[in-house]
Amino acid sequence: MSTTTTERFGPAPPPPPAFTVGWQGWPRMNLFNSWSSGILTIVLGVALFLAALGGVRWLIFSSDWAVITDRVPLYIVGTYPREYYWRPEIALLLVSGLMGMAWRTWGGPARGFAAAFGALVFVVALIPYQMDVLYRALLLAVPAAMAGGYYCAHFIPEQGRAKWFGITGAGVLIVSLLVIAGFSLPGVGSPAGLHPVTESEVGGLMLNLLLAAFGIIASLPIGIALALGRRSRLPVLKFACVAFIETIRGVPLITLLFMSRHILPLTFPENIDVSLLYLSGITITIFSSAYMAENVRGGMAAVSPQQSQAAQALGLKQWQTTLFVTLPQGLRNIIPAIVGQFISLFKDTSLVFIIGMLDLVEIGRAGLSGKIEYSDNGMEVYLFLALVFWVFTFSMAYVSRRIERTLGVGRR
Amino acid sequence: MMRLLQYQGIPLWRNVVFLQFTLQIVSAVLVLSFLAFFFTNLLREIDQREIPFGFSFLDRSTGIPIGETLIRYSTEDSFRYTLFVAFLNTVKVAFIGVVFATIVGIIVGVARLSPNWLLNRLALVYIDVFRNIPLLVQLLFWFFIVLALPPIREAYVIGDAFFLSNSGFAMPWVTPQGSFWPWVLVCALGLGTAFYTARVMERRETESGRASHSLLAFLVIALGVGTAAFFAFGGPLDVTMPERGAFGRLSGGTQVSGSFLALLIGLVVYTSSFIAEIVRAGIQSVSKGQTEAARSTGLNGTASLRFVIFPQALRVIIPPTISHYLNLTKNSSLAAAIGYPDMVSVATTLTQTAPAVSLIGIVMVSYLGLSLFYALIGNVYNRLIRYKAL
Repeated sequence: MSTTTTERFGPAPPPPPAFTVGWQGWPRMNLFNSWSSGILTIVLGVALFLAALGGVRWLIFSSDWAVITDRVPLYIVGTYPREYYWRPEIALLLVSGLMGMAWRTWGGPARGFAAAFGALVFVVALIPYQMDVLYRALLLAVPAAMAGGYYCAHFIPEQGRAKWFGITGAGVLIVSLLVIAGFSLPGVGSPAGLHPVTESEVGGLMLNLLLAAFGIIASLPIGIALALGRRSRLPVLKFACVAFIETIRGVPLITLLFMSRHILPLTFPENIDVSLLYLSGITITIFSSAYMAENVRGGMAAVSPQQSQAAQALGLKQWQTTLFVTLPQGLRNIIPAIVGQFISLFKDTSLVFIIGMLDLVEIGRAGLSGKIEYSDNGMEVYLFLALVFWVFTFSMAYVSRRIERTLGVGRR
Repeated sequence: MMRLLQYQGIPLWRNVVFLQFTLQIVSAVLVLSFLAFFFTNLLREIDQREIPFGFSFLDRSTGIPIGETLIRYSTEDSFRYTLFVAFLNTVKVAFIGVVFATIVGIIVGVARLSPNWLLNRLALVYIDVFRNIPLLVQLLFWFFIVLALPPIREAYVIGDAFFLSNSGFAMPWVTPQGSFWPWVLVCALGLGTAFYTARVMERRETESGRASHSLLAFLVIALGVGTAAFFAFGGPLDVTMPERGAFGRLSGGTQVSGSFLALLIGLVVYTSSFIAEIVRAGIQSVSKGQTEAARSTGLNGTASLRFVIFPQALRVIIPPTISHYLNLTKNSSLAAAIGYPDMVSVATTLTQTAPAVSLIGIVMVSYLGLSLFYALIGNVYNRLIRYKAL
């Protein structure tokens, strides 16, 4: 304890040269570290400055955001009937409540994500532009629900918290889907006697989020099942899985969606009319699960064979070995790939335009051609669309990076 | 069989042979009944609703014009030929897209590792922005930009050879003459000789340790033979320049439409942001000790990159890059959104007069063929780079 650094390691090393540190040193080391680098910095700096100048000038003098601010609800929920706005609101509040709970119980990335989401909604609700008070109230309920969830998290049992969250989360998302859509399920009828909304009325960002949520919940288990089937020793099963995966991966999603509209309805039993919303959800899920299966297979191949040998030596059965030993390790190996697949699934939801559904992008496009005075505002619309998608996908990527760090992948 | 089952008196429900056998049967029955369920429904519906099906339409003529084609095309041509024309359009944009996406991807990926902070951050922003925005939005954006360019009469012109306007891009192009193929043959021979000479010089350099200019020799021989033959054959290629005609319309050279331009830019930018990440990861996967060792054996910066770092990084880079080539090819089907006549876009137009199911089926099989092609390239590469047992 009493030994100082000097005693143990000899005299302290001399400080770094003054010209490499501090506010003078940093540019010298990072911007002007050689002749070519210095020239590059100057050229890039000037180009960036000019670009920024042009951007700011455009933003202040010539951009006109009326094409978006005139119809915010259309971008958010499409042509969803106004008297049913409470239905997506319920879904939104349920999800916000869950986020609040996750904030308290998990902290870490969940907290950052929930806080960012709440703050975003809060800011949007208070932006000073022409907006119905009703919409402001609907948006302001989100932080409130989050606070409620935060409070309720107190009552979640300590044990089996992850399982509780998994089941509740999936339940909430499925309930949301049913409440919003209110579609008659084949053989069940409309859930709880809700008045059904036609498929063309579900649109905007809500449609993208619905399809993505549905796909994310369903494609991981299906993908795992397909991957296990591909690793199976039963030739029939293996062949069926390989054929399925490779066929789906070999064709563009856009052609599958086209098929889902023209062929998939024909493969159901008679007198069952499935809405386009479900058809597109199923197609996107199937497409994504084929890629997911390949990811899972890669992850499981990276688990060393000694793991399953050790499990068998302990007396675990084949299915126990897979379920409790190799699969969890395999999944942990591929967290970035899984999230990457979720991100591309979310981006792919924009392709439903091919079967005539009005997602966020299609609403934007329709907005441009709808009124003649908006036809020049493509720049505003596409920048807005890009920003909305980017916020979601980038935050997913951020959460994935945090989870990876928490689970300690790559440093053991 | 029975004797096998009663082996050593193991009860039936624990007998591995029996279990495997039953599971096989069960899985086969499940898969088959699943398929049967769908197909009986499908056949019944096709029968009841009298949905058109079959491939007898393939020899009829389409009567639908296509904006731009690689080979000559007229509206009297058959469905078969029309689909082939559209397939070539897909291949065209995919091929050019792959070339440019690779170049841009490598540049951005290397820039990501630059010690220059500004360049490094710019590459990071490029990757994080373009990777996370749906390709469809990007395509619509680029298409909007292209349409906002000046009309053809006021096109941006560089040296009277390159024209950029809202109807596309035109540049000088070459048309092969009679002596084209003999010239190509001579060029190939010259290239082979140059390659062989360079290899011999390199081997001698490795053995003797004395520097030789193998790259220089390669270039001199290859270019020299090519140019000499070019003049000897009296110009096997005829260069045509785009020229303004009536109403500022352009003729000659080669021209691509605005939608092709937008599609190409979108695909290249989107795919290159993925390739850039792969290139970065690949270069970083080579341990730093390799660079240091290469430098300490006396190789200079370029040589250590060429002979030590890249050969190792390429093993990591190429397989995922090939799968992104396939993605680019499949993503080119988004052309349907901006009106470039690729396979999907033409097929959806043709569905007005022919069975949709058969048309989209043909398109899917074509894409499967393309993806098999990429898988083949990937497998061949993997076989080539496998570490040889020492």
